[in-house]
Amino acid sequence: MRPIDIEATTIGEISRHIRAKKLSPVELTNLFLQRIKKLNPVLNAYVTVTEESARADAKVAEREISRGRYRGPLHGIPFSIKDNLVTEGVRTTAGSKVLAEWVPDHDATVVERLKKAGAIILGKTNMHEWASGGTTINPFYGTTHNPWDLQRVPGGSSGGSAAAVAASLCLGSIGTDNAGSVRNPASFCGTVGLKATYGRVSRFGDVPGTGGFSSDHFGIFSKSISDCATILKDIAGYDARDPLSSEHPVANFSRDIGKSVKGLKFGILRGYFEEKVAAEVKTAIEEAARLLHSLGMKKVEFSIPHMDLIPAVQTVTSRVENVVHLMPYMKSRPNDFSRPLLHRLIGSLMIPASSYVTAQRARRIICEEFEKAFDKLDVIVTPTTPITAPTIEECKRGFVEIDGRKIALQPAGVSLGTTFTVPFNVTGLPAVSLCCGFSSLGLPIGLQIVGGNFEESKVFQVAHAYEQAARWFVKRPDIGRNEAGSA
Amino acid sequence: MEEQIRKLNAEYGFNLSEDEIKVIIQQAEETERLLRPLNEMDLIDVMPILKVEKKKVKK
Repeated sequence: MRPIDIEATTIGEISRHIRAKKLSPVELTNLFLQRIKKLNPVLNAYVTVTEESARADAKVAEREISRGRYRGPLHGIPFSIKDNLVTEGVRTTAGSKVLAEWVPDHDATVVERLKKAGAIILGKTNMHEWASGGTTINPFYGTTHNPWDLQRVPGGSSGGSAAAVAASLCLGSIGTDNAGSVRNPASFCGTVGLKATYGRVSRFGDVPGTGGFSSDHFGIFSKSISDCATILKDIAGYDARDPLSSEHPVANFSRDIGKSVKGLKFGILRGYFEEKVAAEVKTAIEEAARLLHSLGMKKVEFSIPHMDLIPAVQTVTSRVENVVHLMPYMKSRPNDFSRPLLHRLIGSLMIPASSYVTAQRARRIICEEFEKAFDKLDVIVTPTTPITAPTIEECKRGFVEIDGRKIALQPAGVSLGTTFTVPFNVTGLPAVSLCCGFSSLGLPIGLQIVGGNFEESKVFQVAHAYEQAARWFVKRPDIGRNEAGSA
Repeated sequence: MEEQIRKLNAEYGFNLSEDEIKVIIQQAEETERLLRPLNEMDLIDVMPILKVEKKKVKK
């Protein structure tokens, strides 16, 4: 087997070698399992490692490929899965004490599709309790640490997945995103993080109570935009088991990658994205906008009249939809919830039903306003998060200092870290986060690129053009080299 | 609101302390303030979104 730089490699590169039989899926799986053994005690990215089944599946993949039955670019590729996606025969906790011993008897559709594509599942990743927060400080399964700075959180709620991809403990991961739970940790950990258009990816097999059903999405973590497009192709598409999944045809999402972006228009939303942004983040986004302009794109400023209602709409929608699922557990096992979460859930029961209906009315108006904006735009560009990853201590304290201002991390409504991601959960528009630079402390900064409904190919086209021009991906966390040696 | 929380406390067996009840009331009041502009809007003629219907944007 040829030597590989496990930290630098992508699915695109590895799959070429696997297909050409120059790289063995068994050896590759062993390399990742060794690395998990070394680094997971430091990062706590995985809560369950499925070593035995991963090795067995890798042997099957190797046998198939050696016999000429290559399934496609995910064949033999190591993945991880957030612990609120059900996995047959593998404990699924949703980050909760309530489900600490639960072993589902079936796979989520996404997991089933990954397996069908030949992917190797290495294990389940840590998350915020019931996906109800953005730090992945979990009272039952421990805190996941950010590979760029171990004193900092990876974001959340899919923090384990983001840390695992950033630290090269897998090549791709699946998370969930109800308010930014894929894009926020992707931003904090410097990975690519996508939530596709609402309905594009089946949510069958998501643990109920870990996100509102109308604003929650399954999402992808990867090291490159091209890898992300490859993964989406295999997991997207209608699923009869998820009545909210879409019948929209699945495209070849890689088709426009590498095409010129000259003449395409990117929108900057006036007002909303300027408040509470750290100066370093603002500078990085402005530089990203300049780079897109230099690639031939045109900048268009626009506004959404009812933008200010989004935090209220999201709060009502997701909290009401979510708490309904958890009420039986609140009654039967109240002591198996952390007290802060229990308080929040009781508060959710106080929200009147009339507010829920009003929120869905306002939501229609907001969706229509964004659809109208896309008549004149190809993509929207925003910061993914207003700040870089806060420290674990700051999260426990509840506030951060941004350029001398003290700002609460979890005010009423949406948290600071999801201010810019939530609008696209309310509208269901596809959005990807990718790295657009580093702070003076060496922490990744995320750029969010949003497309029109089912316009993932265009999102990938623009994101890939930016990624290749900016080349931030060459910078990697030191975690594999300093803390525990390189696998 | 306090009465409603105490009722839930008894019904669900949360064993909430007085301090915890105060915290929940405070959080619920903050949420109420957040929702006020939404609840004050006249949206009676707007059909609520009950499924996020998706259609391709025509250019």
